[in-house]
Amino acid sequence: MSTSTIEAIAPSAPAVVTEGRPAEGPRPRRRRRVSLTPYLFISPTLICLVAFGVLPIAVAAVVSLTNMNISGLGNLANVHFIGLSNYRSLFSDPAFWESLRNTGLYVVVGVPSIIVGSLTIAIALNQSQSRFFRALRAFYFLPAITAIVAISLIWGYLYNDQFGLLNYLLSLVHVPPVEWLTSSLVAKFSVAFVAIWRASGLDIVIFLAGLQAIPADYYEAASIDGAGQLRQVFSITLPLLRFAIFFVLVTTLISWMQLFDEPYVLTAGGPVHATTSISLYIYQQGFSYNEFGFASAASMVLFAMIAVVTAVQLRARKRGASDNL
Amino acid sequence: MTKLPRVVRKTAAVVSAVALSAPLLASGATAAGASTLRPAAQTTTLQVWTMETASSFTQLLQGFTKETGIKVQVEQVPWANVNDKLTTAVASGNGPDVVEVGLSELPSFVAAGALLNLKPYLKANPVLQDNHYLAAVSSKVTSPRGEDLSVPWVSDVRILFYRSDILKQAGISAPPKTWAQLFQDATKLAQRGTNQYGFYIPQWDSALPVELTWQAGGQVTGPNGKVTFNSAAFRAAVNFYTSFYKDKLVPTASDFDQTQGFISGAAPMLISGPYLAASINSEAPDLKGKWDVAPLPKDKDGTSLFAGSNMGIWYKSKNVAASLKLLDYLAKPSTQLQWFKLADELPTNTSALDAPSLISDPMVRVYVDQLRNAEPLPLAPQWNQISTDLLNSLNSIVLDGANEQATLSKLNTTVASLQH
Repeated sequence: MSTSTIEAIAPSAPAVVTEGRPAEGPRPRRRRRVSLTPYLFISPTLICLVAFGVLPIAVAAVVSLTNMNISGLGNLANVHFIGLSNYRSLFSDPAFWESLRNTGLYVVVGVPSIIVGSLTIAIALNQSQSRFFRALRAFYFLPAITAIVAISLIWGYLYNDQFGLLNYLLSLVHVPPVEWLTSSLVAKFSVAFVAIWRASGLDIVIFLAGLQAIPADYYEAASIDGAGQLRQVFSITLPLLRFAIFFVLVTTLISWMQLFDEPYVLTAGGPVHATTSISLYIYQQGFSYNEFGFASAASMVLFAMIAVVTAVQLRARKRGASDNL
Repeated sequence: MTKLPRVVRKTAAVVSAVALSAPLLASGATAAGASTLRPAAQTTTLQVWTMETASSFTQLLQGFTKETGIKVQVEQVPWANVNDKLTTAVASGNGPDVVEVGLSELPSFVAAGALLNLKPYLKANPVLQDNHYLAAVSSKVTSPRGEDLSVPWVSDVRILFYRSDILKQAGISAPPKTWAQLFQDATKLAQRGTNQYGFYIPQWDSALPVELTWQAGGQVTGPNGKVTFNSAAFRAAVNFYTSFYKDKLVPTASDFDQTQGFISGAAPMLISGPYLAASINSEAPDLKGKWDVAPLPKDKDGTSLFAGSNMGIWYKSKNVAASLKLLDYLAKPSTQLQWFKLADELPTNTSALDAPSLISDPMVRVYVDQLRNAEPLPLAPQWNQISTDLLNSLNSIVLDGANEQATLSKLNTTVASLQH
């Protein structure tokens, strides 16, 4: 800090000042040599982050101000700066707003379900170390390691109106068939359900790891004090899992704001945009219609949204942590 | 002197392609560069990108290698990946020599400037000239600005499929020949019971409303080549299209499977291409004799969709002479007839289409006759977006009960702004 202060005042400050304090001469130089080492250590990461993180975002920001499309890709002479026109047409596109609403719904439905669901399952799985429970753990992890294409095929068949298993089971109890993927309302939840089912496996494992790090003494002490199962969950398990819950919350929130795979493979965003997420919207604009400038504008909006949400979360976390310390 | 700008252009294009994929997933960026490194060998090896099955296509080209000594390396590009492949190839500058382009993808290739203008070579390669092909895919239609960017290769057409056994049971002796008959027969067939329909409208198929517009005597493109949906014929087409939903003659589920629906008899009449005949034959061989094909029912006309693909030469190919030889070989009637035997795909060369060996099959006869009254979808670069908007509008009218007048006028505003 002192180095930068001296450097900052050096140009404007008269030479007299430095002469007046000769003892401070060598100190900043030594400091500077020392302070180089950490930068050296982080430089590989930093270079990668700049090359594959910051630079692409910067380029996307520039491209979002142009009419870049397939003919521009073939011949850069066809690319023109068009100012904020992409953003204007983006904000006036009802399909964009619908995809935003859908993404909002996915987040509101998906994130709490995943956190509550996988935490509950993890606590239940943690009750025993028997072979059966270990097999169950593997079972819950299966969706996370299954290829999305296989998942979409299987769920597509389960959900199918004509010959799907779900409607067949409903017909056995004389319930009329449900349009799982073809009704614009039901399809949103069908898609969200598959995404929840697929994503919870990983979170269960994270919670299990967190649970196993909690010393058993706490529970013993609590039961000696007469705390019931539920009391123990709320007073010991949840507070001690704070870090795991926070981590899962941040990653789940970000990944649900970027939800793409499930609507892409199950419904391709249909019927009539009903399941299109913001990521899928960007993909369609960019990679189906080759409107690269427009798609960049949309991805800048998504980037800003995720940045804001993450910043708010980190803020809240910091405040929570300092309260506890 | 073009060196520096070219490098700059390349890097800029690559960087922007990377930038686009970064905020999304890495999945969009498929590495295309690795397979296209061209060895500087003495014997020419042509790189060909095709959507055909690579093994059959290689087999077809054995005769070409024998004839010319030119080797061919075939890379099969799945239809779904064509656009990714195109954008990466254009951005990186690494492409094949000869490329098969589906008519639906042609506008993108043309807009990208990815195809070599063949006009200067036509004199020396007369078999590539327009007079050998159906007028529907003449270079006037497929290449804007008087160029000649691609040559017709295979064709595909929509016809009416019907279950003759089910129609007969319902007292219908012949397939419908007019719109009125189609609607009447569909009404009769839908009365067979619940989950039994008279007709099938694929909700993902933008060709059907366009075909109906042509049949009603109109066009979906204006004189300036821009797509518009405000003709009286288009309104007639929409009325006809929506009437099937109003009377509940077609399934409303978007995941209704047309092959299963036809085989089970739930949808005993539908409009599709020859590929459906192939899947019926493989999935339900014992249905033979219980179904047939017929020309599309007419309103003022019976125009169908001309689909298929063309062949072109990549704009940066270093083997133009050899590539032209390959195009010549593929354009020959004998090659196209051999390809029909290998892959069941119809020729585009008119003398191949007249070959007795082809039209002796009564079903193929129907396809070939219908091909002569067929048009391709508008070759506008924005057609992908426009067709999505068209389908979304129609689907929201028939499925969600949206106001027809308002939805269609909104559609026209969107379509106009897409082509400003």
